[in-house]
Amino acid sequence: MNDAIHMIGVYTKTIMKSWFQYKVDAVLRSLAVFLRESTGIIVVYFTLLKFDTLNGWNINEMLFLFSLLFVTYGILILFFTGLRDFSGTVRSGNFDRFILRPRGLLFQIIFVNADWFAAIGHGGLGILLFVLSAGKVGVVWTPANIIYYLFAIAGGVLIQGAIFLFLATLNIYLLETGSLKEVFYWNARKFAGYPISIFHKVIQAGMIYVVPFAFVNYFPAQFLLRKEDMAAYPEIYLYLTPVVGVGMYLLAYLFWRVSLKHYKSSGN
Amino acid sequence: MLKPYLAFAKKNFLNRSAYRFNHFIGIVNTLLRIFIFWCIYDALYGSRTEVDGITMAMVTTNFVLSIGMDAMFSIDDYYLSGRISNGSIANELLLPISFKGRMLFENLGNSMFQLVFHFVPALIVAALTVGFLPPVSLPMFLLFLISTILGYGVLWTISFAMQMFAFWLINVWSMVTIKNVFINVLSGSMIPLWFMPEWLKPVLDVLPFSSIYFTPVQIYLGQLTYGEIAYKCGIQGFWIVVIWLFGNLLWSRGKKKLVVQGG
Repeated sequence: MNDAIHMIGVYTKTIMKSWFQYKVDAVLRSLAVFLRESTGIIVVYFTLLKFDTLNGWNINEMLFLFSLLFVTYGILILFFTGLRDFSGTVRSGNFDRFILRPRGLLFQIIFVNADWFAAIGHGGLGILLFVLSAGKVGVVWTPANIIYYLFAIAGGVLIQGAIFLFLATLNIYLLETGSLKEVFYWNARKFAGYPISIFHKVIQAGMIYVVPFAFVNYFPAQFLLRKEDMAAYPEIYLYLTPVVGVGMYLLAYLFWRVSLKHYKSSGN
Repeated sequence: MLKPYLAFAKKNFLNRSAYRFNHFIGIVNTLLRIFIFWCIYDALYGSRTEVDGITMAMVTTNFVLSIGMDAMFSIDDYYLSGRISNGSIANELLLPISFKGRMLFENLGNSMFQLVFHFVPALIVAALTVGFLPPVSLPMFLLFLISTILGYGVLWTISFAMQMFAFWLINVWSMVTIKNVFINVLSGSMIPLWFMPEWLKPVLDVLPFSSIYFTPVQIYLGQLTYGEIAYKCGIQGFWIVVIWLFGNLLWSRGKKKLVVQGG
């Protein structure tokens, strides 16, 4: 265990060194990620300046909904960058090197790389949105609510981590999965910033049962905000985020373990 | 004179047809973007038929056209930086053709491909699902086409000038990303500019971003008089010239500074 912590320390230091080799570039990159991710927020802000509410959600509630998405991604990307970029690792043959080392595979993939720019850009934006909106959405931050919030964040990170792990595992069978990730992860995320109740029933079902982004931000936000459009969904969904997170992650992990037995190198 | 450049355009056109699955995903993405904004505005409008004289059909038309044009123009922001970092620019500068001309024509080939195999299919699906308005009249439609070409010119020159920073920066990704934020927010492809705050509108009118998609859309919908069209197209032309000159200045400075390592 101590050995693992030491290794995480060494890895983190190395990542930092390589990322911050070019300081101006590092600052510019974090700023660019931050601005790119703010685009959706700025658009929502201007839109609601004109229209006041979107299906009953005002600007602060929308910012709160967005904040959950960014906070979870900011944490996620510190741990799962290696899985996000896994197809490159397999194609270049670097994965074979991991296999030869005397450490757990998933351990190496998770800690060998961390996208700090994305973490700062997304996480910083998430925290900023939370600070701007949390006091204005009528949530009383009782200990119970705070504990719920922390569990919801953890669940949200696990749900997205499970999606990354599942897509990464597919690389063992298919060499190129970039398009699948585009369809199932990034597209779902485009919808996730908005209350799912405004979308067509098919998309809502997809967001709840297929790529369950609804449990990352919509249902946790509903638990705290209780907007009227919640009437369309079973009450129990408000409590399921951690369960869905742990369940999905275990399933994805199982898939990973089983698939490793089938791994064939892409060759050099 | 133009022959080698047209060959580059044709080559890029043909290249694009090799990646069918990715191309299909691209069309799905364009349709999804249109659909998401349609859903949002459908919820925002609710039972209202118009807001500030703008109907839901006009909003939908704005999204279909501007998101479609965005996909069609598909400019490669890394054309120059890719060639600098792998060193192939050294050979390409030696060829007896203009590098900048080649850059433009390769992109044009790409855009023609996107027009036929991306924009048109997306437009057909959009017409069958969310629907959009036809052009108000034939003359306006022709002016719309002219203004669209000018809009392409503005977008291309912005990218061209931005790419020149590759001579000085290790990585132009950040610059390109920040540029795209400005285009996305201020061009009308994510929020129709009718709904921008009043104090911001005069500023947007003279910035290059609104002239990329929103000017053609306004002409298409018949919102501008002939005088206004002449003025707005003048703004498009103005920005093309100014940004092109700026980009050229960077190009001639940067070219002298260029160091290619290895071979």
